[in-house]
Amino acid sequence: MTKMTRILTVDDSASMRALLNHALSTSGFDVAQADDGQSALEWLQLNEVDVVITDINMPRLDGFGLIEALRGGTRHRDRPILVLTTESSDEKKNRARQMGATGWIVKPFDAAKLVAAVRRVAH
Amino acid sequence: MSPEEIQGIFFAECDESLQAAEAGLAACQAGTHDGETINAIFRAVHSIKGGAGAFGFEALQAFTHTFETLLSDVRDGSVPITAKLVDLLLRALDTLSDHVVAARDGGEAPADTALLAELTAAQARNAGAAAPAEAPAAKQAAPVPAPEPVAADDPFDLDSLLDSLGEELAAPAEVEAEAEWKIHVRPHAEAMGNGSEPVLLLRELARLGGRCVAVDCSHVPALDLLDAAQGYLGWTFALPAAVSEAEAQEVFDFIGDDCALAFGAGQPIPEPRIAVVAPPVVAEAAPVVSETAAPRAPAAESPAAAPAPPAAGQSIRIDLAKLDKLIDSVGELVIAQAMLAQRLTNENVTGIDEMGLLETLTRDIQECAMSIRAQPIGSVFSRVPRILRELATTTGKHTRLEVSGESTELDKTVIEKLGEPLTHLIRNAVDHGIESAEERLAAGKPAEGTVSLSAEHRSGRIHIRIADDGKGIDQARVLAKAIEKGIVSPDAQLSREEIDHLIFAPGFSTAQAVSNISGRGVGMDVVRQAVKDLGGRITIESEQGKGTAFILTLPLTLAISEGMIINIGDQALVVPLANVVESLRPDASEVKGLGHGQSMLNVRGKFIPVVPLHDFFGAGDAPDGAREGVLIVVETEAAGKAALLVDGISDQRQFVIKSLETHYRSMEGVAGATILGDGRVALILDVDSLVAGAAACARAPLRDAA
Repeated sequence: MTKMTRILTVDDSASMRALLNHALSTSGFDVAQADDGQSALEWLQLNEVDVVITDINMPRLDGFGLIEALRGGTRHRDRPILVLTTESSDEKKNRARQMGATGWIVKPFDAAKLVAAVRRVAH
Repeated sequence: MSPEEIQGIFFAECDESLQAAEAGLAACQAGTHDGETINAIFRAVHSIKGGAGAFGFEALQAFTHTFETLLSDVRDGSVPITAKLVDLLLRALDTLSDHVVAARDGGEAPADTALLAELTAAQARNAGAAAPAEAPAAKQAAPVPAPEPVAADDPFDLDSLLDSLGEELAAPAEVEAEAEWKIHVRPHAEAMGNGSEPVLLLRELARLGGRCVAVDCSHVPALDLLDAAQGYLGWTFALPAAVSEAEAQEVFDFIGDDCALAFGAGQPIPEPRIAVVAPPVVAEAAPVVSETAAPRAPAAESPAAAPAPPAAGQSIRIDLAKLDKLIDSVGELVIAQAMLAQRLTNENVTGIDEMGLLETLTRDIQECAMSIRAQPIGSVFSRVPRILRELATTTGKHTRLEVSGESTELDKTVIEKLGEPLTHLIRNAVDHGIESAEERLAAGKPAEGTVSLSAEHRSGRIHIRIADDGKGIDQARVLAKAIEKGIVSPDAQLSREEIDHLIFAPGFSTAQAVSNISGRGVGMDVVRQAVKDLGGRITIESEQGKGTAFILTLPLTLAISEGMIINIGDQALVVPLANVVESLRPDASEVKGLGHGQSMLNVRGKFIPVVPLHDFFGAGDAPDGAREGVLIVVETEAAGKAALLVDGISDQRQFVIKSLETHYRSMEGVAGATILGDGRVALILDVDSLVAGAAACARAPLRDAA
């Protein structure tokens, strides 16, 4: 693995973005950030990424909308997508899975938890 | 970025979220119950919860969790929106706001046990009605005043997994005799969807110390029948005893049922779940599978995606210090530009096009920089509903709020300092202005009072109006009180306006009994002082029986202002234009002497004192008898009108305010300093204190004589 794993994080909260950026970039990931599903889609039209981490509840286009758009297209159809969720019930996880998420990160997370989740889905 | 900085961002976000929730709930109260409004409230609370968890504010997180759970039910439509519910949500929002403050300032979290119980009850009632089976679960999940609400009841949480791992290590009951145990893995077709990759999971097992001991490839069909998207293979891994079953299972957390697992040496590899077996169908099935796999999500998802939320404003966050630096530099630029212009004029170089361009650009940059600092006044107004709610509980007077012009922008510094006087005026309006419901009904008014707040730009300043439809100022009582307190003499002849303004006098309070709302020692004089400190003024419009309105006129910014440049002796001074009423060169007959070198100016039949500025600034002799100089009529908050005697007026223009305190020390009568085009420093007059001081000086000898 010579290339750095590139991660796009999508969250409308600036503090959450800052936390994600801090945790991921200090763990050796290349981090790009978008502040909602819509801007994530725009960014993904021009850029390649290894993993997408997205919040669910966001203005303009929410996390599930983003996943739907990516899974419905061709270019990013098989991209691993992790959702950030505060709910850890099986029901919510099944829903995330049905919606097309590859996995989830339960908030609050620490850096180790975050990195473990990314490693589980990224090459 | 340091953790403290990230935390700072979080609290800034909390404020935004609280405002958004407040606005949403206000809309709810006004009858807007659409999905987007409710969702905005939910999102605001949800976002605070997320950050609270991340930063370890447990009390805040616990409270938001319960609040959010109820909001979630409201959003789903399973809890109906009633006036009572909105009231509960508003109270919850107030407490949430207190929680945020406690988390930020490290203070004690507010008592919320009763409120949490109410919130829980609101949702538990629903759970009981809609889905009886779930009721006990909801009841258990919701009352969580205990610090760790999310993690505690979650069997899949990493922390609890680690805990259970520890237990298993301590008592290795499930470990196989040969210090190794077996796990059998069979990923189904779905384990390859959604961007999942089973190979990574196997790799993770290997990282845990697992060895692949068997592969079942008996189900792999002939190559022409092979569908790459099917799970034909199964594996058996031997894992060291140190790895628990839960730990291994955790690897497969994401794909869940899409990968069959079996544990223990005696177990076989689970059977595959291959979609199609019959050869003719497989040929067609391959494309079908790949297509149906994708649309499955869209079909289930469409309701959530349907409403297109409004576009959020594109914005960035800037460190305030950087912004202040920019404003400072722009101020210097304005000065430099003025100096350059002056220099060229001195050199008789005129009519340069570039100079005009430079001036235009400078003004543009300045306006632009100012607009960056500008914020909508709505952030101050949004606190008002809460104040009114609190007042409703303490006074029993229910008031309706009308707000307009909340998007009017003004400088951040002004906004920050506006909160306190505004709060005081609102409390005052409800406490003293609005009558009790019985009195109102008797007077033919609706039982519920109305407080209206409005803001608008008017000629480079902002006008903020705080009005109530209460009983108005009782002038007879105000006057009697002022006389009793020795604020005015009993035989004073005062205009209606002047009587109204008496309520601003220090030590004045008309409240029958000192209430804990607005009569707590600080009076309206504090409000007036705060407004004055902002370079503004306050006026009153009151009509007995109809109501009272306070009008605050404030500058849009504290950094740059408009002023008149005047000369006395060899000095240049700046009089803020806000104070200037008119300037005139009086006839001899219009200035009357008044002993002690005092004189009065007759302005259209009304006498106002003349204040010779030369005395204050030691600038030599005053022009003879005011006739050679120019009189500038100024209006002050404290001492009414006065005429400043100066040698002449040289210019009127914008100036950059430099604090005298930071560079020298604070001085009576001087509000600050600025740098003129020719590089000289000019003092900015604090007209209020100057005129008040002069009046005091003039009175003292008179009193001695009497």
